[in-house]
Amino acid sequence: MVAYIVYLQQIPELLRKWSSSHDVYVPTRVEDHFYEFRPWQEKMHIAWDYDLAYSPLKVFFMPPREDLIHFDLHNYTASPVIKKTRQLLFGVHPYDIKAINQLDQLMGMDGIDVNYQNLRDNTVIFGLEPARLAETAFWAGVDAARVDFGFDLFWTRISPGAFLVRVGSAQGEEMLKMGSSMTSATAAEKEAARRIHLRTAARADKQSFGFTWTQVPEFMNKFYSRKLYWREKAKTCLSCGSCNLVCPTCYCFDIQDETDDHLKTGKRYRQWDGCMLEGFARIAGGLNFRPNAWERYRHRYMRKGKYIYDRIGELGCVGCGRCVKACTAKIANPREVFREIREAIKNEV
Amino acid sequence: MKSDFSPYVPRPATLVAKNTLSEYVTLFEFAQDSGKTLAHRPGQFIQVSVYGVGEAPFSVSSPPQSDHHHFELAVRRTGSVTNALHNLQTGSKVGIRGPYGSYFPMQKFVGQDLLFVAGGLGYIPIRSVLYYMLRHREEYGDIILLVGTRHPGERIFTDQLEEISRRSDVHVLETVDMPDENWQGNVGVITTLFPKIRINPENTNVAMIGPPVMYRFVIDECAKLGIPQERIYVSLERRMKCGLGKCGHCQINGINCCTDGPVFCYTKIANLPEAF
Repeated sequence: MVAYIVYLQQIPELLRKWSSSHDVYVPTRVEDHFYEFRPWQEKMHIAWDYDLAYSPLKVFFMPPREDLIHFDLHNYTASPVIKKTRQLLFGVHPYDIKAINQLDQLMGMDGIDVNYQNLRDNTVIFGLEPARLAETAFWAGVDAARVDFGFDLFWTRISPGAFLVRVGSAQGEEMLKMGSSMTSATAAEKEAARRIHLRTAARADKQSFGFTWTQVPEFMNKFYSRKLYWREKAKTCLSCGSCNLVCPTCYCFDIQDETDDHLKTGKRYRQWDGCMLEGFARIAGGLNFRPNAWERYRHRYMRKGKYIYDRIGELGCVGCGRCVKACTAKIANPREVFREIREAIKNEV
Repeated sequence: MKSDFSPYVPRPATLVAKNTLSEYVTLFEFAQDSGKTLAHRPGQFIQVSVYGVGEAPFSVSSPPQSDHHHFELAVRRTGSVTNALHNLQTGSKVGIRGPYGSYFPMQKFVGQDLLFVAGGLGYIPIRSVLYYMLRHREEYGDIILLVGTRHPGERIFTDQLEEISRRSDVHVLETVDMPDENWQGNVGVITTLFPKIRINPENTNVAMIGPPVMYRFVIDECAKLGIPQERIYVSLERRMKCGLGKCGHCQINGINCCTDGPVFCYTKIANLPEAF
């Protein structure tokens, strides 16, 4: 893979150039231990060593609320609303890239989701080797410690003042070359980056679940009917949907209408929904296919551990640990659920 | 190209006629403003928009019409969109998307017998299949139609049912769970009609639509008659919001009711605990 060396002091110049054509977002500290991707501004402190961005990056491709059509009630016409904002996400960790790769597949299945696709096509992703690991993260266990595609450039900090930048796309290379005098990386520098990755991956491995994720779909399938387990797990579930909101691979949505005060024009928008919310599976007449919190809790884990796997061959969980942090009842924890189910099944045999 | 096309944009259609079927159910006849036929297949659904109120999925009740652009929906007044539809005057416009989803395999049924089992509003989508078959009557074998309703007052399409039951080539049996003083017919849940019918299990397909509680019992009856599972077809109701396999609302375990269904061969869903 082609790789370059970029020095820390070259970055502001690059960011200035990139921001002339793209909305640039970088990780930054917003409060003590909270990091977020925020619009880049001159002199902004970039948190190169951030452990986890609080919000999932789906916000950039599937905004929490997004117009789908604008309609006219008078002559009954409607027109599509499709955003094509050019964005650059600089500093995305591999697990988050993996989540975006999954969304690319899921939103492209059975007909492309044009709203997602247009934002995605116009977004450039610069990956970053994580320097730190969130306490709640377990991405090494679900094969998300590294990604081989889904980025335009991938940055590894090989010394306090220098990054090794691997090229993932022609557009990424072009954007990198907007800077003055980029030097190609030497074999030694590439080796340094590889070692840094191995070190990170080794640390992450300690926070994994100790067995290969490929066993999970089968366990989940076997455990679906264990109502006692699911009831016990979800006993304190508040059905708040926080785990859905912060999950980088959850993409369910609701569709609603809104009109102006004169009932002349309006818009139809979609907004994030969550399978943990009480009315999610309710149909006309009031019948609810998942009326109890434990059924919804089970559905969510089945989706992460089995249903998504059946579609794309990967777990629908990238191990970011966001849900673990967000859950008020402290019951959202895929690592714990997968591990417990595996233990239970192992002990039965 | 793909940039300015959106599957979320509905097409305009005009309400041509409204007929009350029961206290809560009305038959709506729409015409596509484009003048084109809806081109649906029996069992498919469309998304109907009343702008400003919202959008909801409905099974098409009329059979496919290759010669004109009208189609019918029978709608129960139960939520915001269905209430708004009931308040529409003829000549009003709605938006439609679709048709979406799977359909009954009409080609596969050719030359074979068909047993229809319609519980309550399940008759609405069944009607699309039934009238398609009646139009091509000579291509199909025996047709038996079982219709179950809770109260006589909830019976729908009564005139048409009477008309069909006078035909010699369709065997119609009706029952109600809770009769009133005027009801002369069968009393009991729909499975009580099964002892009254004779079918050839070698050659019979089943199309059933009704409330979720109905399916297991009817499937048991079919098994008793010796009808193999691969010749049983059901249509399931869920709240499809997008109709495109994305929004997640209509999931039945790992499958999407909107794109994998709503019509399923029973073998496809027999192992899905969330199906019924």
